[in-house]
Amino acid sequence: MLRIAPALLVLGLALAMPLAGTSAQERARQRSSAPASARLSFIGLADKAQVPAKLTVRFAITGMEVVPAGQAARNGGHHHLLIDTELPPLDQPIPSDFNHIHFGGGQTEAEIALTPGKHTLQLLFADHNHVPHDPPIMSERITVEVPATPAEKPRSVAALGARVFFIDLQDGATIPSHARIRFGAEGITVTPAGTSSPNGGHHHLLVDTELPALDREIPSDFNHLHFGRGQTEAEISLPPGEHTLQLLMGDHEHVPHDPPVVSQRIRVRVIADGQAVAAAQPAPHAHGAGTARTPSPNDAAVYFVYPRDGDRIYPTSTIRFGLRNMGVAPAGVAKPNTGHHHLLVDTGPPPFDAPIPADLNHIHLGGGQTEYRLTLPNGRHTLQLLLADENHLPHDPPVISERITVIVAPGGPNARRRR
Amino acid sequence: MSRARIAAAGLFALMAWQGLPVEAVAQTPARQTAPPGAQVYFHYPIDGLSVPERFTVRIGLRGMGVAPAGVNHARTGHHHLLIDTDPGPPDQPIPSDYNHIHLGNGQTEVVVTLPKGRHTLQLLLGDYTHTPHNPPVMSQKITINVR
Repeated sequence: MLRIAPALLVLGLALAMPLAGTSAQERARQRSSAPASARLSFIGLADKAQVPAKLTVRFAITGMEVVPAGQAARNGGHHHLLIDTELPPLDQPIPSDFNHIHFGGGQTEAEIALTPGKHTLQLLFADHNHVPHDPPIMSERITVEVPATPAEKPRSVAALGARVFFIDLQDGATIPSHARIRFGAEGITVTPAGTSSPNGGHHHLLVDTELPALDREIPSDFNHLHFGRGQTEAEISLPPGEHTLQLLMGDHEHVPHDPPVVSQRIRVRVIADGQAVAAAQPAPHAHGAGTARTPSPNDAAVYFVYPRDGDRIYPTSTIRFGLRNMGVAPAGVAKPNTGHHHLLVDTGPPPFDAPIPADLNHIHLGGGQTEYRLTLPNGRHTLQLLLADENHLPHDPPVISERITVIVAPGGPNARRRR
Repeated sequence: MSRARIAAAGLFALMAWQGLPVEAVAQTPARQTAPPGAQVYFHYPIDGLSVPERFTVRIGLRGMGVAPAGVNHARTGHHHLLIDTDPGPPDQPIPSDYNHIHLGNGQTEVVVTLPKGRHTLQLLLGDYTHTPHNPPVMSQKITINVR
């Protein structure tokens, strides 16, 4: 017995020691390793930059993969955006609150809203358990400033004589409760929201309301209908009775132009669908039937598979196109829900009610191609995709991509590899 | 005399040999020729990738264009996604079933839902009659892991 007691003590110590050891080790092992070459940074956002109150922040990671949270992957992780805060403890899961925004779905960009004043932003990559890697992969901590008076920002300028109006709809007209309203624009180009172009904007239909404040974003509610995809007509449902309708053009940020491009405020009388309204119903496409635009599905989207916004590319690069919820057909082939690609180089979107011009800035992929080998001089260039129907006429609403900026350099992508 | 007979027999054989392919071609419509360098490939997923049960297959095509099925246009075709199967005889139309997904409206991406486990994917271009080109324009067969 006397002999066993010290033996037990020794055994107990021997057991306890590794136990304490493993828990520390385990915690250390919980951190996933990261390659030393991995880099994390903001795209197009510099330190001490002046930014709008609502901005889209884009993240770039090189040397590692973006994988949604919860999925363990070698050299994989997801982004976290730290706003106005120091780095959290690096051996624990990143907290989730207003200062630590998780992008567990594998997002690589986010729209954030900041109050006026100075703010700090920093990116921190973390593994499937939200624990930063070892070594931690983080961006520089940058400071951005939101100007105190956002109204200072100059409003987009509209050309003199630009006007918007209702087509086939007069003041005092009688319309059915489910009616198609068609918008006309003259002297100003209809471009989708988010696409900044000189003298361009998109329609807003104001229903039963006064004009909103003209120096800020048009509200988005039942009384202020946005047509951010560049639609030029809409089917609206109104209860029977008297209503007012007014059109107001907004720029890429939904702010009215200077001077505002606004239509006359008209009164319409809405009657129940059952009653005869033949007189009020305009003949569809009575004017210019030859240039009727082909409808596109509402969820259709065209996008760049390669390159992405902000990428550095070789002078001769293959530009690859993606198309969601529509199909590709060569020019001249009329088939619903299809179209062919156009690559717009260093130019804004053309008018959507005319065939896309064919020149060096508007590359037609009439053979149904889904990629194009493009050679560009060194420097900054913009690329945009626009789908068009068999007659090279954009769809309604237009199926148009974001306008991306690429930097053409002899070295091509800098330490950034893509297939 | 015997030499002439041999020559005649040889000529006959030559005619028969030449005639056979002509007949075979007449039976199945002439396959469209694929331009040299034409290639179909996966943007997503790539070989060996782990994907969720529901994912979007994105398709790239080099050196040719996309046209909906039924549209006879030179240097075009439409995509077919082969799941867990090998391509059939290249001179026959691609079958249409759960293993052969036709993108007949000219689509360049498709959302698929697959049970958990390993699966193979392969892309094969078909012409307006769903028949592969000559030579067939097809991708490598890739293996993915659905988790």
